Amino acid sequence: MTATTLFNIVPYAVAAWLFFCGLYGIITSKHLVHTVISLAVLQTSTYVLLLAIGFRWQGVAPVFADLSPGVVTVDPVVQALMLTDVVVEATVVALFLAMVVKAHEKAGTLSPDDLKMMRG
Amino acid sequence: MSPSPALPVAVPMLSAAFLAAFRKWLPRFVVDLLAVVAALFNLVLCVWLLRLSWFKDIVYWFGNWFPRGHMVVGIGFLVDPLGAALAVVAAFLTLLALIYSWGSMESGENHYQPLMLIFLAAMSGFCFTADLFNLFVFFELMSTAAFALCGLKTEEPAPLQGSFNFAITNTVGAFFTLTGLAILYGATGALNMAQMGWLLGTRHDSLVLTACLFLITGFLIKAAIVPFHFWLPDAHSVAPTPVCVLFSGLMVELGLFAVLRITTVIFGSTFSGIPDPLRGCFLVLGALTAVWGGVMCFAEHHLKRVLAFSTISHSGMMLFAMGLGSRMAIAGWLIYVCAHAAIKSGLFFTAGILLHRLRSMSEPILHAKGKPLKFTAALWFLGACGLAGLPPFALAVGEDMVSHSTHGSPEIAATILFLISGIFTAAAVLRVFMRVFCGWGDSGPSDASAQINELPESHEENQVIPFRLFAPAAVCIFSGIALTFLPSLRLLSLKASGRFIDQHGFVASIYALPHVLAGVVDPGPSEVGSMIAHGSIAVICAAILAAWAVFHPRIPRLLRWPSHLEGRMSWARQIQSGQPADYVVWAMMGVAVMGSVFYIMR
Repeated sequence: MTATTLFNIVPYAVAAWLFFCGLYGIITSKHLVHTVISLAVLQTSTYVLLLAIGFRWQGVAPVFADLSPGVVTVDPVVQALMLTDVVVEATVVALFLAMVVKAHEKAGTLSPDDLKMMRG
Repeated sequence: MSPSPALPVAVPMLSAAFLAAFRKWLPRFVVDLLAVVAALFNLVLCVWLLRLSWFKDIVYWFGNWFPRGHMVVGIGFLVDPLGAALAVVAAFLTLLALIYSWGSMESGENHYQPLMLIFLAAMSGFCFTADLFNLFVFFELMSTAAFALCGLKTEEPAPLQGSFNFAITNTVGAFFTLTGLAILYGATGALNMAQMGWLLGTRHDSLVLTACLFLITGFLIKAAIVPFHFWLPDAHSVAPTPVCVLFSGLMVELGLFAVLRITTVIFGSTFSGIPDPLRGCFLVLGALTAVWGGVMCFAEHHLKRVLAFSTISHSGMMLFAMGLGSRMAIAGWLIYVCAHAAIKSGLFFTAGILLHRLRSMSEPILHAKGKPLKFTAALWFLGACGLAGLPPFALAVGEDMVSHSTHGSPEIAATILFLISGIFTAAAVLRVFMRVFCGWGDSGPSDASAQINELPESHEENQVIPFRLFAPAAVCIFSGIALTFLPSLRLLSLKASGRFIDQHGFVASIYALPHVLAGVVDPGPSEVGSMIAHGSIAVICAAILAAWAVFHPRIPRLLRWPSHLEGRMSWARQIQSGQPADYVVWAMMGVAVMGSVFYIMR
């Protein structure tokens, strides 16, 4: 396997791995903070995926001020998407953690098993 | 002069920022007034845009970044009649919700009005955007505002739990959508939906199918389709009443709107010439959702949960209409969505009046306590008739159009499913009517969810029902009727749906190419006879089922079995476990099943 093919495959494998790690974490979670962090792990898979899609072999950073036309750069669009994604995630995780803090205040527990107010 | 399509997003967003910054120094009525004025302004703008978009799609490029050749370089808004109609509904419901909460919902701490306005901005943008990533961003903005609004009453653990379940499930869905989006960007190098659809053409390899599956998963979770629906009752049973109105009235339907837009614009040609797995999935999942939502609706005893499950049932019928997919079916879909928004919001507002007056949402506790509330009872009863699809409620027109859009067995299936969904949801609402407002029977069975204590939304004197609570409920119920009498409603909705499902029309609008709109034949007035027959059957069956449950101790033991739908559904209720982990597992199973169907039919 050449280095190029490896570079082409590994990021996608990492993204898929992180995706399933995050899902597994959420599904098996016994602690609300753990659930939130698993969700953050799930989200990191989308970062890796986006950056992998924009990657160009031997591409340089897409700062076009000092580049001559025709130089291969990585895709700047996905980097912008990823940045938006980071902002979204920061908001969501902050909101989640605020909820967890409140839940701990009111119910005195962080285990989802003890928080089952709603059933049926 | 024509308004910019960016205004319905910008105005509420800026008002929200202003209110969030200066709320502390403003008297309460100024905050309320500003929020209501912003929503009203949005309503006027959206109606104006709807009128303008009637003849030609309005395309707006931010910063004048017009497409260069076939390359779309900027972010565009495209206003078409169907999207604009949903934006009008969004502004209308937000306006009523803000009037409803005038002076209540102590905003000093919990940022209620700014969040509502952000929610409105996100919904408007969601209806108008032509850019897939933009759609995702508005989706997330809408979700985040919704999570915060849902858990507004942080004084108790139940709202936090409901909001947490809602947030986990929907955020996982959002990441699925984002993954699908990233794959599609990798495959096409485009983010504009028109360019994506044009570049994909009839390509249907596994990469495109995976992207399609992941993209719609997130929106199906938002649309509360079985098995993605578990978050919805938990969120509705704890959210404040005006927030429930927005959730049930439009947010859920916007999930379906996004699915419809994606499948028509991006994947519109993907399945031409090969069997379409999407249609089949939509029909099966829609039918399953309609039945399951109806049955669970009848099994619940918390008023907001009853209404939440009825939303699931109706959402299933909407997905079924999308599965039929013809122009007529989508026209019926549009009428159904608007009518459902009006009726369901009216019912939620009426439930809010009960909460205000009697301080509970639990059917056993409320038994016979609603007897003095005549006007509230009338609204609740009208709402039940509306859910059953009795003319003159516009829901009947929508049902009629959807079921008459096909022939043969799909037509029969649609008619029967509409009947089932209407009977079960109306029966649950009528059962509440009989127990709470008429005081018939005993207090009935109870369950864990019915015991959830709900904090009142205002601390004012609760012996009188203020006008601000009555007016939105009455306006909603009567707009559900008034919609039927809109001149040539069927023709208008056919025109809107024809424009919406026309992939080439969308592409032509984005690239400013000439495009001939497909002609439309005026379907004329609907067959009133069959609509009345259908609606009366649904209402009568619902009333019988409700009475069966209410009077079940007096019924001979051998004939009691229909009433067991109410109390003995413990196995079904256990699935609704209240654990976000379980909800995510169910959603994954849904994805796996849909994925297998995609793979087999490829």
